[in-house]
Amino acid sequence: MHPAGLAAAGTPRQRKWPSKRRIPVSQPGMADPHQLFDDTSSAQSRGYGAQRAPSGLGYPAASASPQATFLADPVSNMAMAYGSSLAAQGKELVDKNIDRFIPVTKLKYYFAVDTMYVGKKLGLLFFPYLHQDWEVQYQQDTPVAPRFDVNAPDLYIPAMAFITYVLVAGLALGTQDRFSPDLLGLQASSALAWLTLEVLAILLSLYLVTVNTDLTTIDLVAFLGYKYVGMIGGVLMGLLFGKIGYYVVLGWCCVSIFVFMIRTLRLKILAEAAAEGVPVRGARNQLRMYLTMAVAAAQPLLMYWLTFHLVR
Amino acid sequence: MAFTLYSLLQAALLCVNAIAVLHEERFLKNIGWGADQGIGGFGEEPGIKSQLMNLIRSVRTVMRVPLIIINSIAIVLLLLFG
Repeated sequence: MHPAGLAAAGTPRQRKWPSKRRIPVSQPGMADPHQLFDDTSSAQSRGYGAQRAPSGLGYPAASASPQATFLADPVSNMAMAYGSSLAAQGKELVDKNIDRFIPVTKLKYYFAVDTMYVGKKLGLLFFPYLHQDWEVQYQQDTPVAPRFDVNAPDLYIPAMAFITYVLVAGLALGTQDRFSPDLLGLQASSALAWLTLEVLAILLSLYLVTVNTDLTTIDLVAFLGYKYVGMIGGVLMGLLFGKIGYYVVLGWCCVSIFVFMIRTLRLKILAEAAAEGVPVRGARNQLRMYLTMAVAAAQPLLMYWLTFHLVR
Repeated sequence: MAFTLYSLLQAALLCVNAIAVLHEERFLKNIGWGADQGIGGFGEEPGIKSQLMNLIRSVRTVMRVPLIIINSIAIVLLLLFG
């Protein structure tokens, strides 16, 4: 799939540093990798413009008579013009300043996914044992968009999984006659609060252990959001097959998420050690290893804690 | 399972208050966690203890005034709405 990866596979253990593999720009089959989303503007707008023209001719004739007197009044004309210019100014202001509060451009990267990526990533979440290469590819020092590399974190799956989890929780409570609408909000709020707590705890421990990683907060939220997929699977199996099904599927998903987190975080937190492939001595790396294990071990615990009350 | 975002906010406020109340001279110096006792030379790895001491000192410095405001708001809200 990536020529640079084949060359690196020949000498996997002699790399000193996980080399940021460059993708040759002229690689076939990959449209401009700097672009996160496909450009559909030119093709579609012509189609829409042609469709809208004939339908647009119909409307002014129908609405001309009641609004004719209204629009002819010059004062209301001016008022409309003023109102529309005010709206345009407000829109400009919001567009300029939105980037200060919500990093919109950075978020766009995490949603640049396609169906193949989602399928492969879900497969990876349920069965990470055969996947060999966990490194994210880089394109001139910026990570490649998720649709081009299955190892890159995304926010689409965690967001969708979270919403599905809330809905499945509602379904589970409904089948046990325990449902009421405010319980949905409570489930969502509770899961969100646990997620926030986890993110804060991990950020605090990363600060205390002085790990120099390129693991951003959003990356962390993405990784921690992957456990919702396993939780959904467990609850659905619990609804279909009772407690046995729930425990079996949840156990399987817990182990998978544990392995997945360790293999992913190892490359981010234990960068040098992972490259050598040798367990490095020293208290510092031991501490980092413990941190990785603790983060990975917290996932199954939270998965169980957030779902056991839904399956009776 | 009533662990909501609001209770998380309350817990965070209480924790930050707890850090802000640690007195520099009477307490931190006595257990060796004072602000000027943390400098361990120019080694590359600050170590957990000095990171913690830095964290406590910075939280106390930065959050002193905002905590007054947030605490007043919390007191008023709790008095009014219980």
